[in-house]
Amino acid sequence: MTISPEQRSAVEDLINAYALAIDDNDLESWPGFFASDCLYKIIAKENFDSGLPLGLLLCDSQGMLQDRMEAFSKLNVFGPRSWRHMLGAVHVTGSEDETITRTNFIIFETLAGKDTHILCAGEYRDIIIREDDALKFRERLCVYDTTIIPNSIVRPI
Amino acid sequence: MSETPLTWPEGNDRVPYWIYTDQENYERELEKIFYGPVWNYVGLECEIPNAGDFKRTQIGDQSIIVVRDAEGGINALVNRCAHRGVKLCEQDKGSFNEIMCPYHQWTYDLKGNLLGVPFYRGVKGNGGMPEDFSMADNGLDKLKVHVRNGGIFATMSDETPPFETYMGERILGYYDRELDGRSLKLLGHSRQRIGANWKLMLENIKDTHHASLLHVFFVTFGLFRVDNDSRVEMDDTGLHTALSSIRGKQELNDGTAQMRSFDSDLALSDPNLLDVVREFEGDQTVVMQTLWPNVILQQQSNTLATRQIVPKGPNAFELHWTFFGYEDDDEEMTTRRLRQANLMGPAGLVSLDDGQILERTQEGILAHPDEQGVVELGGRDTDDADHMVTEVALRAFYKGYRNVMGL
Ligand code: FES
Ligand SMILES: [Fe+2]
Repeated sequence: MTISPEQRSAVEDLINAYALAIDDNDLESWPGFFASDCLYKIIAKENFDSGLPLGLLLCDSQGMLQDRMEAFSKLNVFGPRSWRHMLGAVHVTGSEDETITRTNFIIFETLAGKDTHILCAGEYRDIIIREDDALKFRERLCVYDTTIIPNSIVRPI
Repeated sequence: MSETPLTWPEGNDRVPYWIYTDQENYERELEKIFYGPVWNYVGLECEIPNAGDFKRTQIGDQSIIVVRDAEGGINALVNRCAHRGVKLCEQDKGSFNEIMCPYHQWTYDLKGNLLGVPFYRGVKGNGGMPEDFSMADNGLDKLKVHVRNGGIFATMSDETPPFETYMGERILGYYDRELDGRSLKLLGHSRQRIGANWKLMLENIKDTHHASLLHVFFVTFGLFRVDNDSRVEMDDTGLHTALSSIRGKQELNDGTAQMRSFDSDLALSDPNLLDVVREFEGDQTVVMQTLWPNVILQQQSNTLATRQIVPKGPNAFELHWTFFGYEDDDEEMTTRRLRQANLMGPAGLVSLDDGQILERTQEGILAHPDEQGVVELGGRDTDDADHMVTEVALRAFYKGYRNVMGL
């Protein structure tokens, strides 16, 4: 099955817009990137490779995304920081109805008054569908290679 | 830095800050605690279910291989070739039939015995090992291992008391409540590095009242709060603690009214996260055990986990989380555990606050080794409490710590 250049570029736009929203700390818009029936999971490569299901963060409904967003923005306690997602080229397969992508990422984190460090490096494994005439993530797995997370992950990645 | 007087203030209600920052004290801790007469947690049996399965872990600064042998026994071996010291195993986990060092190919069996040395008899009459070289004396360093209901512990000292004596009856009761002999099902791992002294992690769990103040998520949903029915219990040494609590309601009372972070209006959009079912005897919804010196064994609602504390010098530690359920869990229960795992780990709805605050503690005290912290909440004694408005577990802990360290 072939994927049109239009679809390919729309998919890339979605992936870029997502990273930008998080780097801008616009968490309110985060749940909107996902389909009504969705799965978001941050999972260690160690678990992913051995078929272990544990996520570092797991949301399997719009409601859970909403609750996470509220917690990150209002309930959790952490110091000020900035994030920069660096994305690799998007690898696209699947169909127009269900586009499958893989995209490498690195996230640089800078805490107030400290050096910039790499928070984590890994790969997005996405399933993207069209819903209400917009592209949405039906599934976004963030598989991270980083064996030891420097302290904590305080936003969605 | 100026010479620190390594002394302890009078009484149980002050903790000097040098114990969190002093390099020499850290080195003494390695000798007296981690390499001394203690049972270090090194993993769960369900991580290495089959013969040949191994995992790599750490005790103090030392790398340790935990491996299941052909007879089903579990061995803990120092990860260092007996020949010239090469680190034998680099993977975090895997499976092997024997352990071979890549450098000069000395091989060991899964119990750590030396099996073979290349060119042992020489080549064309040249070289080889001396006649009196003893294979038996040149195996890997072996630790003593104790397994109880799926939990694996190891010790480097011959003076360590039997495991049951070491834990004490009361703590064992809590231990057996969670690790009750059923086979465990491994759900996965996560690991984080926190820029704080390792003891601050144990304290964080023993410090019962912070949860009501720091963790807005806990507070709001009543998962763990000062007004809950709770108990803080210690063993005779004061080093192990079990703290248990029963989930409260989302209501305004004289406890919640004093918590600035309490928000009685907050509701989850998806209540599935807190769809908790009772699965153990008794009403406790939380049991947090700190087992001296290096593990937290925890039940929070239906999420079960161990957190292994790996010290990295005085100013940092790693936290290795292992989440598990039981082999007989149905799919619904596994899903529930995985959803509730959102509370814990490096992005945990509550535990991420702890990682942040511990690093801030270290930053706050780093330049002030001569100052001291105050632990007077609930009095100055070290007796068990039937509430959690108290710092008693910290006082008891440091009484035990001073004993061990000779301070
Ligand atoms: S160092 Fe291991 S065989 Fe020589
Ligand atoms: Fe906490």
